[in-house]
Amino acid sequence: MSHPALHPPPRFANVVREQVRAVALALRVPAMAALAVLVLGSGLAIGEFITGGGAVDFAPELSMVPAFVGLLFPIGVWKGENRFGTSFLWLLPVDRRQHALAKVAAGWVCLMVTVLFFLVWLFVLSLVTGGNILGEHAVQLLPSTVIPEARTLDPAALRAVRYAPDPVFWLVPFTAATGTYLLTSAVTLGVRYPVRWIIGVPLSVLLVSALGAAARIDWLKLLASRLLRFVFDGRYGLDALFTARAESLKTAVVLTTGKTVSVWRAFPDVGDWALATTLWIGAGLAALMAAALRQREK
Amino acid sequence: MVVNIDPRDARPLYLQIMDEVRRALVVGSLKPEDPVPSVRELASELVVNPRTVLQAYRELEREGVLYVRRGLGTFVALNTQPAGDERRELGLAVARRALLEARRNGLGLEELFTMIREVAADENDLAAEAPLTTGSNST
Amino acid sequence: MSNVLDRALDGAVSTYAVSTQGLTKRYGDEVALNAVDLRIPEGSVFVLLGANGAGKSTALKLLLNLERADSGVAEVFGLDTRRHGPRVRAQVGYVPERHDAGYRWMTCDRLLKHVAAYYPAWDQTYADRLIGALEIRRNRKIGGLSKGDTRRLQLLMALAHRPPLLVLDEPTDGLDPVVRKRVLTLLAEHLADSPTTVLITTHHIHEVENLADHVGILRAGRLVIQVPREELQRTVRRYRLDLPDQWEAPRDLVIPAPRSGRVREVQWTIVGDERAVTERLTTSGARVREVVSLPLEEAALAFLPDEGTR
Repeated sequence: MSHPALHPPPRFANVVREQVRAVALALRVPAMAALAVLVLGSGLAIGEFITGGGAVDFAPELSMVPAFVGLLFPIGVWKGENRFGTSFLWLLPVDRRQHALAKVAAGWVCLMVTVLFFLVWLFVLSLVTGGNILGEHAVQLLPSTVIPEARTLDPAALRAVRYAPDPVFWLVPFTAATGTYLLTSAVTLGVRYPVRWIIGVPLSVLLVSALGAAARIDWLKLLASRLLRFVFDGRYGLDALFTARAESLKTAVVLTTGKTVSVWRAFPDVGDWALATTLWIGAGLAALMAAALRQREK
Repeated sequence: MVVNIDPRDARPLYLQIMDEVRRALVVGSLKPEDPVPSVRELASELVVNPRTVLQAYRELEREGVLYVRRGLGTFVALNTQPAGDERRELGLAVARRALLEARRNGLGLEELFTMIREVAADENDLAAEAPLTTGSNST
Repeated sequence: MSNVLDRALDGAVSTYAVSTQGLTKRYGDEVALNAVDLRIPEGSVFVLLGANGAGKSTALKLLLNLERADSGVAEVFGLDTRRHGPRVRAQVGYVPERHDAGYRWMTCDRLLKHVAAYYPAWDQTYADRLIGALEIRRNRKIGGLSKGDTRRLQLLMALAHRPPLLVLDEPTDGLDPVVRKRVLTLLAEHLADSPTTVLITTHHIHEVENLADHVGILRAGRLVIQVPREELQRTVRRYRLDLPDQWEAPRDLVIPAPRSGRVREVQWTIVGDERAVTERLTTSGARVREVVSLPLEEAALAFLPDEGTR
């Protein structure tokens, strides 16, 4: 016999399972904090309801919270890990790139559970406050998708419609969170100081915009707002990912009577949303794979 | 059985262990049919690679000094007599060490003999003078 | 219990657990390893010695593919470490130089469960016994462990899956003398229970004196000697000499330090065959009073640089 019987490396499924446990443990503290926030939120909502305020409707696609959570999740997932250089993680008998992706996958599982928990909380809150669990509510619809100038719109031109979002939009929080999670995971794996980028880029765009406004450099302000508008409000922009464009399709208009009212230009379209989501998640996966190239066995 | 490994001894460790076993036989701390420490025990006590202990035991087994009983351990062979030349080997080793020390300190051969006799005599005297401790100072 | 060893000794002839060829690693301008040809026979305990910065830890990291060599090949059990990094690491119990045992918020117990999932060969019964023997407190958080606690935990993680190869970088670093003795005893017992090849680096050479079968010495990245330990001890002797007034050292003999002034009696550690060295010294006019063999630690020191020399 030439060499002793070699030990087998671990199965990948076991690695992912173990990482899910480890990530869940790592996120214990932020989870507690989030729970505290939820409790507070419940208190406030119920308090308002008792004092005669409105009920909470269950409209999962309207909340940007899941997307935001997905954005910050990788920071917690990779807390304490030295992604470049030596770390305990890389000593283990798993290919480095595969291990990194296993951790990302594990984080995603925890994220989905978190989003689900959030939705359940929202649902229960909605039930308790007597809100509409199908998210139906009465809205004012504009006659056309063109936003009218102030004081040009006659109230009679508005149509009152009962809007019932398609149940498929209940998937929006999950896909939105997945999209942002993939993008920020890519940044985390690909760059040494991801927080600088994740928070820095949007912040600098906003700063530039504000600077432009303050210094009255119109083209700068215009450029920044155009950029934001394009990335966010476009037909397949970020808002399509986050809320199926429910945010950007709403706008405030001043009527001829002088009253300001919130109106919708159009309703969120399932087809558009599906395509936008696919594009963004596709982009996220591509970015992740590219970033994972940086993590390789020596 | 007490096994001492001399760190200065440049001989292979397994040979040293073998010699120690033989020494124990000569001195009488190991008798025929006695068990010797298991490989694991001796390796642990000496902080030695168990393979080395195993090598020593195997050699001794080959020489007929030890034998293995499956599942029970390793034992001193029945017909092992501390051979006369084992004793002689030990004695020569002691003499060698003494001479080395003597030379180191500038003592000649005759001087060494004289000193040894003197020390031995002193020790005998001391043994004779030592009071018997049975019931001499009872209260 | 020696059946395991019996079989191991019978089967393994002269294969190498670790074999490197021309292994070289540079960090910028500094050469950490210079064309190292390491050969560690299976089942042996190989002690790698060298001054700080001589390249020991680098060599170990290269074997686990935690660093990339600039040139040369390294094989562990016939597996190329560069191509089969993860598989190689599955065969190895590694105690790194750093006292870093992983996630600071996990308890020791939790971390052990975590690591056990990565090694299918993990022996939980053995791990439990080691927890007791190494006095590891299960419920302490990793972040709250002292240097010694961490070291013991790292040892446990390396031993518990009974790997074919143990790579221990300063395994007793940070441990008090009582624990150090216990660790080495555990190691000897471990070797009796499972056929293992061991590669150790240590500054406490005398501790592993009896355990070591082979010794390798790294000096400024070069492997200056790699021999069975008896051979190392055989080729180094301490000579007590009487030197005449006008004495010149023979040119081909390496002596530790130049003679100072008119010193008559010196005691030098010299590398070389005893007979040959004695002859050179005698023919050069010195009187050899005494030749003494040395314990492993002092013999090895003869190959390590002095303060001030390199």
